[in-house]
Formats: sequence, structure tokens, C-alpha cells
Amino acid sequence: MAFEPREEQKELKYKELRIYSDEELNNYTEEELKGFKIKHEIPVCEELEKGPWPSFVADAKREALHRRKLADDRMMIERDVVEDLLGQLEISFKEGETHWKHGGIVGVFGYGGGVIGRYSDLPDKFPSIAHFHTMRVNQPASKFYSSDYLRSICDLWEYRGSGMMNMHGSTGDIIFLGTFTEQLEPIFYELGHVLQQDLGGSGSNLRTPSCCIGRARCEWACYDTQDMCYELTHYYQDELHRPAFPYKFKFKFDGCPNCCVASIARADMSFIGTWRDKIQVDQKAVKAYTGGEIKPNAGAHAGKDWGAFDIQKEVIDLCPTRCMRMEDGRLEINDAECNRCMHCINVMPQALRPGKDTGVSILLGAKAPILEGAQMSLLTIPFMKVEPPYDNVKENVIEPVWDWWMEEGKNRERLGELIQRQGIQKLLEVLNIPPMPQMVKEPRSNPYIFWKEEDVPGGFKRSIEDYRSRHAR
Amino acid sequence: MEDIKKAILEFAENNKKSKFYFADMEKGVRKVMPDVKAREVKKAATSLINEEKLIYYSTGSSTMYGLKGRGQTEDY
Repeated sequence: MAFEPREEQKELKYKELRIYSDEELNNYTEEELKGFKIKHEIPVCEELEKGPWPSFVADAKREALHRRKLADDRMMIERDVVEDLLGQLEISFKEGETHWKHGGIVGVFGYGGGVIGRYSDLPDKFPSIAHFHTMRVNQPASKFYSSDYLRSICDLWEYRGSGMMNMHGSTGDIIFLGTFTEQLEPIFYELGHVLQQDLGGSGSNLRTPSCCIGRARCEWACYDTQDMCYELTHYYQDELHRPAFPYKFKFKFDGCPNCCVASIARADMSFIGTWRDKIQVDQKAVKAYTGGEIKPNAGAHAGKDWGAFDIQKEVIDLCPTRCMRMEDGRLEINDAECNRCMHCINVMPQALRPGKDTGVSILLGAKAPILEGAQMSLLTIPFMKVEPPYDNVKENVIEPVWDWWMEEGKNRERLGELIQRQGIQKLLEVLNIPPMPQMVKEPRSNPYIFWKEEDVPGGFKRSIEDYRSRHAR
Repeated sequence: MEDIKKAILEFAENNKKSKFYFADMEKGVRKVMPDVKAREVKKAATSLINEEKLIYYSTGSSTMYGLKGRGQTEDY
């Protein structure tokens, strides 16, 4: 299905949007960089430049030199913002304490998210980072960009911010790192009205939905992840920008169980593509793999000689549910037992493909906190067909879950924690779906499904006499 | 809507703390209007934000509401 934008789309032309000339963007030489020292001594930070890996310290120094050589009227915040940032970081490394204060009133008008206030608690020493606010920019679906788009946002951020950014934050947004309060509204205007680019989510909001590359490039995508991500991002604008949830809430869309955006580990509501018929098997291609004509894993491990491909050892014995076997030279799969681990399909992509009757599994309640361990999401709806405009998902899953969480969730409680606190049984009631045996993790020690008082004739306090009249002790 | 806005402002003015969570604001409104729905409270709060009577206070990870002019309302 062709992409259909919900509003008129402008073609961005970098030549018309550009702020800096080529000379300004390439205003230092590698020789100059070698001899460059920032204005603060940062020996501890510079330790991070040693070793084989790229370092943000080296990148920050490039940016510091670049800004030092720009003309005064070519930057709206101080030119030495990057140098002060490194200077403060050096102190934090030495003292083992942060010097950032975060949070506050800062934001753009009408939005409760997208801007995270940050301030230095050493503003006299590092005045150029007295304000160092973060802005989150809603990344395009699957993070497809044109180079014109990237140049345009980089120019804007160099001009009105520190020039430093993360591509991308954990939720997927483009993160603009560091600007002053008075620059927030002009940046928001430029993003919205010129670049047609919205801010992402932060705070107690729906966070920026993110999706895998999907049908744009992947033959395994069981549904159009980009379309669903785009539709729900637009449909739930109010939830994205005007916070009323108990805490953050994340949607992520994976086209198949390979889970390239890690929805199962990070999203409060994960949409993972799946199929309910059989894995498609091309027996000729299976033979070609076993005969060595096709490289396993699409040649991904070809850098070393691992010996001849052994389907028994490398595929069948590794199947987590042992649902595969070779019989008379044919690969047989007991699809009823398959748990969609994707290993066999990943190893033999030309022989095996996901089934044809595709949809999504919906899992709820993952979170990836820093202090405690990660919690994976719970398979709640094993299969659901999804077609635009996804009304079945909006009305039967998303909104009932939100209503429950908004009503019952404690402040700063994620959906996964609410499910743990009130139980899966309550979740199933909210969604009006029957329990599955797979939801009972340890049926003999910890059954999730309990009797409810209204289901017991006479309730929990009924007289035992009537029962005893028919059943001797 | 106007009734809910009034209840929100009363809650905000009389609350001990200058910043409060949405859920607490909703409970405050329910004391006066028991049948009000969360979405209606949110719409009224958004309207007050647009009128610049309420403000958002964000830590980055969670968001609170506050009354403009009460407590910390400027940059640090």
C-alpha cells in the first residue's frame, strides 16, 4: 500500500533552508584539530579518547573547534557551550557527582512534553551551560531520512543550540542536546512550520512511537509497521503532547518476532508481527542449504570457516520447542508447537518464510528501568488482524488499557507494575478476553486465575452447613 | 467544562504543594464533581494551560501540573 500522508507534504529543499555555507561547515583542518585545546583542562575526559573505540569526547572537541571558528553572529547561544560542557564533565568525573539540575517549567507553549529542562549548578564557572535544555524530535517512521532533511535539522541546531545531538535516544527520538530557554519557541516554530517536524514525547506522556524498518525493506514484516506507527502517532497526538498518564507509556511496532526495535523488552504495549498458519517451506531450497549451495544466515558468518552447514546441529537441535525434524530428506515442522523464535527462518531465509495469514501479537507491560532489572512484556493477545485505520486495536485494546491504568495506576507506576499489582486476571477483565493456559507460569504454586466471590454460589461467607449435609467431613 | 476548570483552580490554589500529579488533581475535582471523567478533566486542564492559568512542570520522566505564579514558575 502506498504511503498516504495525513496532511499536505512539502518537499524540503536544503538549498533554500540552509543556514551555513559549505565553507562555514568545513571551517577547520585535521591539522588544526590535532593541536586544538579547549579552554578547560580535561585530562580525565581525554582518557576516553584512548583505545580502539570512537569517543564522544573526540566528537565534542571537533564541535568545539568548529564553533570557535564560526563568526559571532552565526550562533544564537554561546560559542563555548561545548567547552563548558566538557569542563563540567571533568569536574563530575573527578568528584563522582553530577552538576546537573533537571526538570522545571521550560517547554513550548501548549506542549507538556518534548522539552526537558536542564541547568548547571555551577553557572558562574560554566555560564555557557547555565541552561542546557534537551529537545526531543519525533523521528520519522523507521528513521528514514533524506540527507537534505538531516542537514536542515543540523543547521538549525547549530544555529540555535549547542550543535550536539544524539542519533537516537532510547525511545528513538532525535535528541537535541543543550540550548537556552529563549531559543525553545523559535526552534519549535522552525521545526513545525518550516521542517514539518513535530517534537517527541517526554514526561507522563505517550512517548514517541517507534517501529522497525517493516515492509519498506524487510520481507518478514507481517504487517505494515510504518503505517501503524504513523497512524497511531497522529491519532494519539493529545496523549503525546498533553500529559495526563500516571507515567510514561511506550508503543513499539516490530514487524516480526526478530523484534528489531526490542518492543518486547521496552514497550508498555508491544505490537509484534506473527502468523497463524504454517511456516512456508521450500524443500528444494532446504536441500540447497544442506548441500552447501546456499550459505546459511545469508552469508553473515562467512568470515570464518565454520565447516559444512549441519541442519541437525545448527537448526533442528536449536529449536526451543523441538518441533522440527528431517524425514526422508524433507524438513517437517509441527507448526502447532512453534513459538516464533525465528531462528530457523534467520538461518535459512531462502527456504523458510513466515506464514501467509499474518497479523500481530500484542504484549503488555515491558519496561527497562536503570536501577532494577528489565521486565519483559506479557503475551496478552496472541493474534489479531491489523488493517488501517486500526479501529479494532484502538477501541478494544489501547483505550480500555489506558482507561484502567489512568483510573487505577499510582503516580509513576508503569503498566507492567499495575499488572503485577492487580493481577493478570484484572487485565483480562479489562480487555474482556479469556485467560490462556500459557499465562499460568507455575500452575501448581502460583495460579494467576482465582475464584471471584461473585462466581461462588453463596459467596465466600456462605454457610457450610448445607454443604456438610451432603458431604461428610 | 467551566465547572471543571473552576474546580481545578480551587484544587490548585488550596493544595499544600505547588506542583501536583494529574491523578491527584482528578481526585480533587471528583470531590466536588463525583461523576466527572478523566478525559473531561484533561480537556479542562489543557484549556487552562492554553489560557496560561496552569503550567506543566516536567522532570523529564514524569510531569506535574501547577498554578501559574505559585511556587517555582521561572527558571532556576
